[in-house]
Amino acid sequence: MSFDQPACNKCETTLVSQLFCFSCKTLQHFPKGIDFFEVLGFPVSFEIKSAELELRYQELSLELHPDFYGSSSEAEKLLSETATAILNSAYKTLREPTLRADYILHLLAKKQKLDERSLPEGFLAKMFFMQEKLDELLDSGNTVKLSGMRKDLQKKKRDIEADFAPLFRKYEDNPEDTVIPQQLQTNLNAERYLRRLIERIPAND
Amino acid sequence: MAYSEKVIDHYSEPRNVGSLDKSDNSVGTGLVGAPECGDVMKLQIQVDPETKEIVDAKFKTFGCGSAIASSSLATEWVKGKNIDEAMSIQNTEIVEELSLPPVKIHCSVLAEDAIKAAITDYKSRNQD
Repeated sequence: MSFDQPACNKCETTLVSQLFCFSCKTLQHFPKGIDFFEVLGFPVSFEIKSAELELRYQELSLELHPDFYGSSSEAEKLLSETATAILNSAYKTLREPTLRADYILHLLAKKQKLDERSLPEGFLAKMFFMQEKLDELLDSGNTVKLSGMRKDLQKKKRDIEADFAPLFRKYEDNPEDTVIPQQLQTNLNAERYLRRLIERIPAND
Repeated sequence: MAYSEKVIDHYSEPRNVGSLDKSDNSVGTGLVGAPECGDVMKLQIQVDPETKEIVDAKFKTFGCGSAIASSSLATEWVKGKNIDEAMSIQNTEIVEELSLPPVKIHCSVLAEDAIKAAITDYKSRNQD
């Protein structure tokens, strides 16, 4: 992450996205290690407005789409394809809060060795218990109880997700902190367990 | 990615699914998880207090086919071994037996961790 504002290869206008210059409409030779925020042209932050993200994605896809480079040079065709691919990955990752949280955490915590497997105290035993309970409910076909369990799990998942924004705000203000990123990793791990449970419940109501 | 025949065999007919009495002092319980994929695995052993031989083993795994197959195989392998022999079972042996692809190696690691956790639990409950 550099603080120098990157400029267009051709007209030297300051770039919004490192993929494309909106000013002279030129595909950019973007650096290999570019991150998803540089792709979409936003500062690295968990708090990203979904309407803005959506709009930027639309604008860029329109300009980068390989269909518009059918009669261009081979190099340009290839550039439009690779740019579109990274644009799509960036958009898919950043629009979903959990994927975005995971992505930013690993972007910011590069230097720090996180315990990737940490879970809240006693959490694994709870998850095992819930899985067994879910087995029983699935066997009995009790749709009322199944739907109740799904609501309960979704609430737990939402509670974890609700903590992302305040935790990231603290972390972005204190990038040297080591406790917050580990807490974020723990929450992401817990969220994954809840998601797996929810996925097992058929959505039929 | 296709599962190997041995994985399918263990996955479709898992051996030793179930549980042992957690409160029995001759039983050791290992509960381990792989947060990267949301798997959770419980492996239990019943130990003969005289010979320290593992006379029974049960497991229950919530996870992918490879995680289920790895833990199923683990219960088969620990049975009849004494706890020190069982402690030396390596995940690489499980990988080899089940022909697990690189992306599924963590499933075998989980099974090895579960064996070790169960033995450690047994030992901690039977300190003389």
